[in-house]
Amino acid sequence: MKLKGRAINSGQVQAEAVTFDAPFSFIGDFDPNTGEIHVEGPSLSKKNLANKILVCPSGKGGTIAPFIAYRAKQKGTAPVGILCNKADPVLCESALAIDIPILDSFEKDILTYIKDGTIVTIDHESVEIRG
Amino acid sequence: MHLTRQEKEMATGKYGAGVEKCMDILVKFGETFGAERLIEIASAHTMPNEPVELLKEMTDGAEQIQAFTTLHSMMSGFSPHQWRKMGIPETFALAEASDFEQRQKIYRRLGFYQTYTCLPMLVGNLPRKGDCVSWIGSGAQLMVNSLIGARNNRDGTLINLASAITGRSPLLGLFLDENRYADIVVELKGLDPLQLSATDLGAVGYYVGGKAQDKNIVINGLPKSLRIDQLKYLMAPLSTSGAVSICHIVGVTPEALTLEQALGRRKASDVLHVGYKEIEATKALYGGNGPIDMVVLGCPHCTVPELREIAALLERKRIGSHQRLWVGIPYQMYYLAEKMGYVQIVEKAGGVIASSCMATVPDAPIPDGVKKIATNSFKAAHYITRLTKGKVSVSIQDMPSCIQAITGKTI
Repeated sequence: MKLKGRAINSGQVQAEAVTFDAPFSFIGDFDPNTGEIHVEGPSLSKKNLANKILVCPSGKGGTIAPFIAYRAKQKGTAPVGILCNKADPVLCESALAIDIPILDSFEKDILTYIKDGTIVTIDHESVEIRG
Repeated sequence: MHLTRQEKEMATGKYGAGVEKCMDILVKFGETFGAERLIEIASAHTMPNEPVELLKEMTDGAEQIQAFTTLHSMMSGFSPHQWRKMGIPETFALAEASDFEQRQKIYRRLGFYQTYTCLPMLVGNLPRKGDCVSWIGSGAQLMVNSLIGARNNRDGTLINLASAITGRSPLLGLFLDENRYADIVVELKGLDPLQLSATDLGAVGYYVGGKAQDKNIVINGLPKSLRIDQLKYLMAPLSTSGAVSICHIVGVTPEALTLEQALGRRKASDVLHVGYKEIEATKALYGGNGPIDMVVLGCPHCTVPELREIAALLERKRIGSHQRLWVGIPYQMYYLAEKMGYVQIVEKAGGVIASSCMATVPDAPIPDGVKKIATNSFKAAHYITRLTKGKVSVSIQDMPSCIQAITGKTI
């Protein structure tokens, strides 16, 4: 299936998706040393964002988040792309700090199309979903 | 987005690869959030903890930065000069010191002013009403908007740094008149504002911030005689428990000569009432008795009159041998307070004065054995409680009680 979004930072990448169903921040929700994201509730498998595509509804505060994202990239724990329903300023800045593709404004809620482990291909404003 | 001829040149590498990268970031960000153009900023205030490689990338080829730029307090309580006296563990300090040395060379070369304070307006970064600026630090952002009436967005650290380097920022958000009016009116009920301590004012801010979230507010009923060192305790917690960017005060702040002006002649979306009941309940959030291991003052940074007050409380006293006092104050104020003899009194009593951030202190730099901290700052109480993940508990007390808790002996 192919979807069209708005490319805030344009690029091409293919990777597995990791979903996060609340507004995401690189501060608080994410450990730059390991790439793990903190999932609420009793989750058996820990989610790891390293070299994956983050799929989330939006972002939230934490003005220093772009620096945390950059440190994660230096350690190899950063995501390689972000798909969201509506980018907030700090999530947008975080993607720009590490120059990864970030897309928003899809026709429907992006989280209804993509599950953990889905292979996603980002090609500028197009997104292809497999599996 | 429309760019001037010079901006186009900046965006295409004429001013070096760093400026080109900064312009790319500003344009993509501006287009995402609907800016039609960039605007020249009157000043910037940036965070001195950027990854060194990122700072090098963004300033590659630049001879100087384009905005007059001051630097924020050193984060995590870290001071490159005072960390030993502060009791900060060596492993933490040496890693921080190495990055600091590298950044400092770049700051010197490019003209970042090494002020290391959260109150840059007190040390020479003083824009005028209506100027657009890019300042970091949630308290500084709120105060430059509200107390000075300059215009500042809640930029994150990347847009902020790109703005300092290029001297430009996307024209959007709080740069525009229509986004600067108050939505929520705060009325004080049954309070005598002149009798409120700095801690009481902090409780008002912390309570209101939690209710107002990211809305602009206007406070009615405060006297013009409140000093900046009182107003900072009121304002800083608004962007701690909430994300308030503008706090007008009727008759006090420059965009609020009247309530009607602050509201832009619209109707308020909500009215909040604050009285003694709310203040006491808010202070009780950080209560608790028991012995105090460390006192943290200077969040936001102390003014010289406040340091004089601390010195008066410490005169002929000594801080307990297993107790500590950290006071945050900008370097410039340190030298002024030293000239006036206050620094010597605080240091002789065993206190440490540093130009670092006293709010964002995680457990790593907190000295071994410190389990209970007292502070007069809601912002410090909020962040230290959360960042130390329960290893340290924090109680809110006014400044004389804080000092009393760590001084027994008179000498």
